[in-house]
Amino acid sequence: MLRVRDSLGDVAFRYTNAIVLGLVSILMLMPFVKVLATSFSGPSPVDAGMVYFWPVQFNWDSWHYILKQEALWRSFFVTVFATVIGTCFCLLMTALFAYPLSKDEFKLGKILMIMVVVTMIFRYPIIPYFLALRTYGLYNSVWVLVVPFAISAFNLIIMRTFFKGLPRALEEAAQMEGCGYFRLLFSIVLPSSKAVLATLGIFYAVGIWNQFMTPLMFIEDQSLYPLQLKLREYIVNVDMATDRLIEALPYNNTTLESATIIFAIVPILIVYPFLQKHFVKGAMLGSVK
Amino acid sequence: MQMANKSSRIGTTVVSPRIKKEGWIQNFRKYKALYLMALPGIIFFIMFRYVPLGGIIIAFQDYMIFKGIRESPFVGFQHFESLFAYSQFWRVLKNTAIIGLYNIVFVFPVPIVLALLFNEIKQMAYKRTVQTIYYIPHFFSWVIISALAFDFLSISGVVNSFRGWFGYEPLLYMQSEAYFRTIVVLTSIWKEAGWGTIVLLAAISGINPEIYEAAAADGANRMRQMFNITLPLLMPTIMILMLINMGNFLDLSFDQIYNLLTPMTYSVGDVIDTYVYRVGIVQGQYSSTTAIGLFQSGIGFIIVLFFNHLARKYQEDGGLW
Repeated sequence: MLRVRDSLGDVAFRYTNAIVLGLVSILMLMPFVKVLATSFSGPSPVDAGMVYFWPVQFNWDSWHYILKQEALWRSFFVTVFATVIGTCFCLLMTALFAYPLSKDEFKLGKILMIMVVVTMIFRYPIIPYFLALRTYGLYNSVWVLVVPFAISAFNLIIMRTFFKGLPRALEEAAQMEGCGYFRLLFSIVLPSSKAVLATLGIFYAVGIWNQFMTPLMFIEDQSLYPLQLKLREYIVNVDMATDRLIEALPYNNTTLESATIIFAIVPILIVYPFLQKHFVKGAMLGSVK
Repeated sequence: MQMANKSSRIGTTVVSPRIKKEGWIQNFRKYKALYLMALPGIIFFIMFRYVPLGGIIIAFQDYMIFKGIRESPFVGFQHFESLFAYSQFWRVLKNTAIIGLYNIVFVFPVPIVLALLFNEIKQMAYKRTVQTIYYIPHFFSWVIISALAFDFLSISGVVNSFRGWFGYEPLLYMQSEAYFRTIVVLTSIWKEAGWGTIVLLAAISGINPEIYEAAAADGANRMRQMFNITLPLLMPTIMILMLINMGNFLDLSFDQIYNLLTPMTYSVGDVIDTYVYRVGIVQGQYSSTTAIGLFQSGIGFIIVLFFNHLARKYQEDGGLW
């Protein structure tokens, strides 16, 4: 292999590039750091705009306060429940549909694929969607966080493409032994599709965890609020701490709000290393062109 | 999608004549299990995609909740006529179109530039760290991102503190009409630009390294290699992404706009989706807002068809289908 020495210009370009990208990434992190610092600061320096990226008058009081909020924990568990159950449900539904669609011998497949692609180019308007789901009894139901997302057309196509690319030999051998399609799917195809399942699982999980519009439209009952809706409620109704209007509280709305934001971010940061391992692969699966 | 269609095209040629001769009934009998397996998916698509699509009929009715679709009276195009005569409609349409246009002009190119620049970092550990930071905001909801923006741009926020150091008056950025669309663009970039590079980086990693070696041997520096090799070879991928973006031109992120919007910024930031939510779902004017939604979907549909047609005309195998 020919190794050409980099010119001076190249070296300058490379270092400038690396440094600028690094600086921009720090800039991108600043709002997070600011909120983190605020959540550990006293109320008066926060109001005076003295808190930048390091807590002033360090204390845990805001955290004590929000971690005692039962409603917040309740919302947290609603979201965890919907995400865990939902991800499994979505993957199962997607796999069950993608598998027959990946089979040439399934005559209905071509028509169904057209039916799926049509939903990608012509989007249903939101009002009929709302009215339809309400007649299904999903209004004010936890299941609205899960069921309408069961199969995303995009993920379905990724999974179908993946199934089509799997080697046939093993399946054919099992078929010889008299193995039916259901057994084929669950004991041969899915175990060899862990990569695509992990990736699509992440897509579904992130989607369910972060969803906002659907719960906003459908969930009225505060005890069923998922985390994002609760968070929004705390941020908009800036009166979290007014139940005790005592002078010199060790927290104020801004510090409580900051702690709540970090509270909602932390679970994602915890699973992030796992996510990162898979989503890069996944995005490549997505670029099926 | 391209691939999926391609393989289904291949599928038709591969099918053996034995299967081709088979009628529907035989096929069903023989592969009952496959039909059974597909059933939940079919039911899902009918219930959650096609029934709502059929529900657009209420755009031509005076829909009343207690009468339902069957008994509500038909009014023809009345809702569309009153829409076009209604200034609010033009306002939200204009805002949607402007923000959509900004997204294509200002947001869309950022991941491309970013991917090209990431590709130039040679220290792997550093590269991975920087990339991780750019990816993270994608995983946070718009509630969080907009709360961070509100905090950062508030009166006691960081930006106003910096202004204070230089003797400027603090500004209410989030409540100001002049800054709203800029903030929409910047938050979009902040949240999604890093994530958008992944597909492009995957495409870049597929480029044959010998091309670069040959170019370097001919004396092309990194910059020239970037513009004359990487970028042209990325064009097919960029075109596909462009097409998808064009088709979704009017589908702004409801979560983003809704969470960034305040009543002070309605005049520049109220878009179709937020308007439909407020007037349709909250106030219950179902029929007229369905008419808006149908209008929006229709425009999106026409745009996709148009650009797909263009792409197929000028690029072999271009286009989404």
